[in-house]
Amino acid sequence: MEVLQYDFMQRALIAGLITAIVCPLIGIFVVVRRQAMIGDGLGHIAFAGVMGGYVLGVYPTAVAALVTMLGAGAIEFVRHRHARHADTALAIFFYTGLALAVIFSSMARVPGNGIIGVLFGSILTVTSSDIWLIAGSAIIVLAVMHYYFGRLFLMSFDEDVARVAGINTALVGTIFSMMAALVVVVGMRVVGILLVSSLMIIPVAAAHLMRRGFKATLAWSVVFSIISVLGGLILSFQLDIAPGGTIVITAVAIYLILLSGLGNAISKLLKTARAAGRSADKKNY
Amino acid sequence: MFDITIKDVTFAYGANQVLNNLSLEIAAGDFVAMVGPNGAGKSTLLKMIAGLVRPDGGIVRVAGKEIVAACIAGKIGYVPQHYANNTAGFPATVEEIVALGLNSDGTKKVNRDGARHIVTHMLKLVGMEELRRRLVGELSGGQQQRVMVARALAANPGVLLLDEPTSGVDYDTGTKIYGLLGELNRNLGITIVAVSHDIEKVVRVASKVACINNGICFYGDSSEFRKNHASEPHFFSYQVK
Repeated sequence: MEVLQYDFMQRALIAGLITAIVCPLIGIFVVVRRQAMIGDGLGHIAFAGVMGGYVLGVYPTAVAALVTMLGAGAIEFVRHRHARHADTALAIFFYTGLALAVIFSSMARVPGNGIIGVLFGSILTVTSSDIWLIAGSAIIVLAVMHYYFGRLFLMSFDEDVARVAGINTALVGTIFSMMAALVVVVGMRVVGILLVSSLMIIPVAAAHLMRRGFKATLAWSVVFSIISVLGGLILSFQLDIAPGGTIVITAVAIYLILLSGLGNAISKLLKTARAAGRSADKKNY
Repeated sequence: MFDITIKDVTFAYGANQVLNNLSLEIAAGDFVAMVGPNGAGKSTLLKMIAGLVRPDGGIVRVAGKEIVAACIAGKIGYVPQHYANNTAGFPATVEEIVALGLNSDGTKKVNRDGARHIVTHMLKLVGMEELRRRLVGELSGGQQQRVMVARALAANPGVLLLDEPTSGVDYDTGTKIYGLLGELNRNLGITIVAVSHDIEKVVRVASKVACINNGICFYGDSSEFRKNHASEPHFFSYQVK
């Protein structure tokens, strides 16, 4: 394939694939916990982190990862301590992040496409260092989410029941928010902080239309996310248009196709095939 | 099976004193119907037993241990009110929800075959085996309550706490749910505490009735309650203790 002949495209594909896998993993919990705006909010904080990195002259993506994780921890702390005012407190966190980003950007010497790249993604300029950071972050996210999967599942279903079952919901919630922060930073290079939340939400929303169980919905989310990232990236290369936006529009297109009824049709087809398989198994047995 | 001791418990929501020096002893294996008027503190008391609400004063013990002790966690099955609100649109199958009861706190190792066996057994107990692959949000209110009871039972709890298990379900379904709870209590010997407004149905299957109205206004055998008090229109206004 022509696109794979270029080093920058190979790096873009690796970064895109990693992002496509981890975004729905966080996104499915974000959706069922009804925290769809958390990705946007963390994106604002990540923006401040990147600009802070430029001011300090330190690797901006790493600073963004650190600042966003700390911000996520603080948000979760406020959410638990002041549950009644959690919404307002979150908004204050997010606006503080955005305000700091604006101030830092006026103080920093940001390279040519820097701010636009942070806001809307610059997957074609991903460096080897970025790949290492993205891959390292993704491994941490995968390991932590694997370990806490059952607890997060029950917490998402009913937080009171989870507490009665002995789960430290404050701790698990904080860890989850920190993982969401890491994924925001991972996705920031691919689609930008303004669109990173879309890669968490849209593939999950599309998979939700298949009306399957939790693990199956997660698996379909990852499939749709990978198709969106790879399809969007190739399309943007062929049409010479912005990759971040093209990836998100591809995800939206998948969602709309499934919304039109194809999701139900595929779901029914799969159920029929599975039922046929089960009855064949019984006959053989 | 666990016994429950509630001793001199007080609790207030701001200036509103909900529970006032309430004491109650529930023996292991009892099925206690907790009844009383709205705002009497029934659900608050149930949440105290579950460890979700701390009393302002007094002690709640389950199996001899104060409820704040972490060792009790995971041994109490809790089915809260209004499940239909949570489950609408939640992407999980019946068997996935029941399996959540097996290792929800992440401390137990259950292999896949063992988990499937336990889930099947629990679904058989509540008569939901045929619907194991259905999305939980697509079930009726009564079916959802059965699934939630199965999930709670999967953790092999010493006590099962239910808050209004028949709210939002029709008459027949309510009768069936209480019938199921009565069977579980008799066959498994599990201690059950159910908060309910559905006095007529719950006292038929419960072994004891606790009437809560700020304090205890009745605590005794359900047969005695049915015989002497159930038909009294102003029963809840009495304050025996």
